[in-house]
Amino acid sequence: MSTVTLEAVSKHYGDAVAVARVDLDVAQGELVVLLGPSGCGKTTTLRMIAGFIEATSGTIRIGARDVTNDPPYRRNVGLVFQNYALFPHLTVFENVAFGLRRRKVAEADIARRVASALEMVQLGALAQRLPRQMSGGQQQRVALARALVIEPDVLLLDEPLSNLDAKLRQDVRVEIRRLQQSLGLTTIMVTHDQEEAMTMGDRLVVMSGGLVQQTGSPRALYQRPANRFVAGFVGRSNFLDGRATGSGFVTKSGWQLRADHDLGAAGTLMLRPEAIQVGTGGPNEASGTVEDVTYLGAATELSVRLDGGDFLFVHETVDAGRSRGDRIALTVPPAALVGLSD
Amino acid sequence: MTRRGLSAAALLAPATLLVVATLVAPLVLLFRYSLNRFVPGEFMVEAVTAANYIKFFTDPYYLAVLGTTLWVSLLVTVICLVAGFPAALFLARTRTRFKSLLILAVVLPLFVGNAVRAAGWMVAFGQKGVINAILGGLGLITTPIEIMYTTTAVIIGIVAVNLPFVVLTLQSVLEGIDPAPEEAALSLGARPFATWWLVTLPQAVPGVLAAGVLCFILAMNAYATPVLLGGPSFQMMAPVVANEILQQSNWPFGGALSFVLMAVTLTLTAAANLIVARRYRV
Ligand SMILES: Nc1ncnc2c1ncn2[C@@H]1O[C@H](COP(=O)(O)OP(=O)(O)OP(=O)(O)O)[C@@H](O)[C@H]1O
Ligand SMILES: [Mg+2]
Repeated sequence: MSTVTLEAVSKHYGDAVAVARVDLDVAQGELVVLLGPSGCGKTTTLRMIAGFIEATSGTIRIGARDVTNDPPYRRNVGLVFQNYALFPHLTVFENVAFGLRRRKVAEADIARRVASALEMVQLGALAQRLPRQMSGGQQQRVALARALVIEPDVLLLDEPLSNLDAKLRQDVRVEIRRLQQSLGLTTIMVTHDQEEAMTMGDRLVVMSGGLVQQTGSPRALYQRPANRFVAGFVGRSNFLDGRATGSGFVTKSGWQLRADHDLGAAGTLMLRPEAIQVGTGGPNEASGTVEDVTYLGAATELSVRLDGGDFLFVHETVDAGRSRGDRIALTVPPAALVGLSD
Repeated sequence: MTRRGLSAAALLAPATLLVVATLVAPLVLLFRYSLNRFVPGEFMVEAVTAANYIKFFTDPYYLAVLGTTLWVSLLVTVICLVAGFPAALFLARTRTRFKSLLILAVVLPLFVGNAVRAAGWMVAFGQKGVINAILGGLGLITTPIEIMYTTTAVIIGIVAVNLPFVVLTLQSVLEGIDPAPEEAALSLGARPFATWWLVTLPQAVPGVLAAGVLCFILAMNAYATPVLLGGPSFQMMAPVVANEILQQSNWPFGGALSFVLMAVTLTLTAAANLIVARRYRV
């Protein structure tokens, strides 16, 4: 068990920059999620920590140990892959025992530790199966047991759930989180699924184009995104161009909104769809016409064209049975205004 | 159902006819010849006798030829697999833009016929050949070493002929093996050699078997290389068969030799398949 530290870690492929000066501190027992769109450098970052890709510059530490130039087999990291990567010719038992055999653990201890690792992922009964005789979810749990049984300093997961169907994804997600917390495992996970990131991570690192855009708790990222990219990537949002005034924000079309906090020099106003209230009764009122209605289950998404010209997505949690063309009144609480500088 | 059966038969017919006409019929004919009697001067006398086979299995000379053919072929196969595997693995895994050029480089020797290549080796191996010239020039040897007309020369020659086939066969199989389990092994603490031995190789067994069988069959039937590089005193099966038929006009004995060669090759190939299938459950 250990901490992980990246100091200005970069990876260049010729002129192309895959990862640009990433700094990251992962605390003991913390689950950090690397989140971002395809090609933003998540996998590259993870594979540099695992030792499969050599960093062009920067330092990687596991605990106090500088592992920047260590090969993967000396780093003591547990790795879980998107496509499970089980050894197809070995039984479940031998898959899990693999790392222990490399560590020359005594046979009796191997049997005991493999059995308890398989118990941990509820697969004790399937020890003698071959990987191809198991479902995707079971295979991913074997992969998890195989990574955990060696008591790694760090657990690294690269899109561990993306090959599973929605229901199974939920189960394995809960299982990973439960094990990670009960074992106090320092963990770094990669995903491009923001919901997965929000529900699993203690802290998220949002990346784009090889750069870290923002690091913070799911709540911090959702409520105080550093820029438009982060706001757009984490949750649904409305963006209104305009400028901050002393007491609030005025949109390009002239809608004046009051805030209860300083918006700085923001050029963009962000409003979360669920923070906008339907009805009147506050300082920031507006009226408009419903242009579209999408039923989401827990809420209904209304596309509203305000009379002033601005456009908003609004999530209404009571099913009011609205339809296209309905007139609607909206209120934006002063606390809901988030100013973005770009 | 019958429709599909008919169209399948129609599709298979040309290939089947070709195989029957060019492979089965000559073999049946040759087998029939091998049961005939050979009377010098009379060419071939109709008979049904096992005399030709008995001659082979009782004459130490021919048994020794078979023995040489076997161990040379086995050695060539082992050398080709050991030398070809790393090259094939590199070709399968490389991300370089020049991959197709590299594969072309492997195929290139196949453009040159066996006999021409063996002639090339003769130039290299001779007393005043390139190899002796280089070694002598470097002062590593004082008297020229004898390579030409040795078993070593034949083995080098056949390895050179077979290596491209082995590399290409292995490469196509390795191409289909996911590299992720190897990375998993490395992360679990296996060093590169252990990873290769415990994870890559077991998955590559079907490919190694296919490449090995191909190489073994080619070596068992090698003709030009042993004739040109082995010289008159070095004998392998294929040249001996050719000699019986072309020089001695002894078709019955030549036929018997052919069938012994074929039977031994097939038996060993089948045995290798069985052993590997049992061992690795492929
Ligand atoms: N071997 C390579 N050579 C050149 N460029 C590469 C190489 N590997 C990755 N890249 C580039 O580096 C960037 C980051 O790739 P990376 O695999 O880390 O993305 P990712 O965030 O994991 O994306 P995804 O969600 O699609 O998996 C990409 O633009 C990719 O094209
Ligand atoms: Mg990736």
